[in-house]
Amino acid sequence: MSQYIISVGREFGSGGRVIAEELAKRFNIPIYDRHLITAIANKTGLTPEEIEKYNEKPKNHLLSRRVNGFSNSIEDNIAEMQFSFLREKALSGESFVVVGRCSETKLRDFKCLISLFILGDREKKIRRVMEVYDLPEDKAKAFIDKKDRKRKRYHNYHCEGHWGDSRLYDLSINSSRLGISRTIDLLEEYVKARISEE
Amino acid sequence: MTAAQIFAIIIFVGMFVMIVLDKIERHYVTLGSGALTLLVVFGICMHSGNAITDTLAVKQFFTKDFWYQVTESESKGINWATIIFIAGMMVMVEGMAKAGFFRWLCMKIAYLVKCRTVPIFITFMLMSAVLSMFIDSITVIMFLAAVTIELATLLRFNPVPMILSEIFCANLGGSATMCGDPPNIIVGTSLGFSFFDFLTNTGLCAAICLVISMIFLYFAFRKEISGGKHEPVDLSKFPKPSEAITNKKDFVISSVIFGLAVLLLVTHATTHLTVASIGLFIAAVTLIAFGRHAKELLKKVDYKTLLFFIGLFVVVSGLEETGILKLIANFIGDISGGDVRLMIAIILWVSAIASAFVDNIPFAATMVPVIQSLAESSGVPISTLAWSLSIGTDIGGSATPIGASANVVGTSVAQKNGYPIGWGRYCKKLAPATVIVLAISTVYLFVRYL
Repeated sequence: MSQYIISVGREFGSGGRVIAEELAKRFNIPIYDRHLITAIANKTGLTPEEIEKYNEKPKNHLLSRRVNGFSNSIEDNIAEMQFSFLREKALSGESFVVVGRCSETKLRDFKCLISLFILGDREKKIRRVMEVYDLPEDKAKAFIDKKDRKRKRYHNYHCEGHWGDSRLYDLSINSSRLGISRTIDLLEEYVKARISEE
Repeated sequence: MTAAQIFAIIIFVGMFVMIVLDKIERHYVTLGSGALTLLVVFGICMHSGNAITDTLAVKQFFTKDFWYQVTESESKGINWATIIFIAGMMVMVEGMAKAGFFRWLCMKIAYLVKCRTVPIFITFMLMSAVLSMFIDSITVIMFLAAVTIELATLLRFNPVPMILSEIFCANLGGSATMCGDPPNIIVGTSLGFSFFDFLTNTGLCAAICLVISMIFLYFAFRKEISGGKHEPVDLSKFPKPSEAITNKKDFVISSVIFGLAVLLLVTHATTHLTVASIGLFIAAVTLIAFGRHAKELLKKVDYKTLLFFIGLFVVVSGLEETGILKLIANFIGDISGGDVRLMIAIILWVSAIASAFVDNIPFAATMVPVIQSLAESSGVPISTLAWSLSIGTDIGGSATPIGASANVVGTSVAQKNGYPIGWGRYCKKLAPATVIVLAISTVYLFVRYL
């Protein structure tokens, strides 16, 4: 397969972003996560801070309305811009890794899509968030809940399937079982197998 | 309260909540709610076959009055005239868009004023209002906003104030005629008013308000508008208006059809052709004229909106047949104590406030039977209440980014091009402008009709 797109959905604290970054490095392809924000900022003239404010955020239903596919919600429009950007990249034939952004659904028409979902044990995720963000346990728990709730609402609003539902992804894996590093190794093997197969 | 009334209210409120939540497409919501109304309210609770046939109003198609009307009459149930007219206009507008008419018009005007920012600002506001008198504001704003952004990039000015002003003027222009805004079509066809009735009543009010709004918007945005590039504009670097025309023959045809539609609408009180006939005729002429592209135009028609209307009319009929709307009318009559001034103010301002937050189409459809009932019980001329309702629903929608379709489309086009317009940015200037226009309209209604 000359083109391959690795989509990485993730629970907060599962190490999904680190896994995606490492996969991008190992396959020597670009990754679109924060970079997506910069790319859209360059394209539209918005500042990355402005985009970040509305990034992967569900819209407020009471304050927004949709008419003939147009929406007044900035969150919706930022999301649409990201989806279009990803489609453009996919159509251009480029191989890349993308983190979140409903990419497993938005790019599902592309045969070269390899969709992964990274989950983790709650205790492990809490410990990781405490370490990475230097937070006490109660704050880390609340942070995880808030982030995952936000991602779930965002995903389920823009897609038909449910966030984290294994039927949406080619492979769902619990990174707490093998640890992040060995999970990456395993996923690398899986991606290689997929690439060589098709 | 009877079971039928309770169910009618539950279905209506449920429908509104579902529309606001936007989880399911709104035409499915109204059609589902309409089906429930027919089944539960009319069938199970009322056992009334007549209520169902009156609501579906299919017989209308076979009456002469539906197509050719010498005396004005009111309609009940599904307002098929509104649906046929809107469908016809959609076909015409698709033809115009395909030929490049709107883009050509925008570029032509920009050229005529030599692409200078302030004259573009003024002429685009005016164009937005005038076009919206005949064409749906969604189409008007979609093209105007896109060209505004294109010009803003070339002339290096911020397009947001201009887009906001265009939105405001589109809503204002829409209030001037019977076909300018869906609430007006509903009010006009339900109560038997003509295009000319609207033009001489809401139209005059809109004209006064437009002049004042343009002055207000100019002063509100003058710093941002005149802050652009000041060196002389090199017109040779700009895209030529003629480049917007995709096909000259289609362009001429669509312009002629548009002129014909305007002529038929302006004269329909004299020719006795109903808006349903005009809609059907215009659609037929457009389809014949576009020949092999007719299928393409038909495919582009927004069937979802038409289905949304059908479901909506059924749900509102549920409230009407069960007497809920009469109760609301009596309530308005009671709190106004028979004072016409208060009645007008309540209808105008309540319609405006409601339309600022919820879709003004279901609101207007619900309020038409209410004002009919109120006019009967209070003796106030129905026309006075109708103009209050039309102005309130059309103008009130300008106050917030979700109040009217044009607002949503305009802000969306701006956002997709890197100009985010949040609630704060939108309401800062347009909410006061709306209040000013509503205050002027209140005075206009008092002076002219009391």
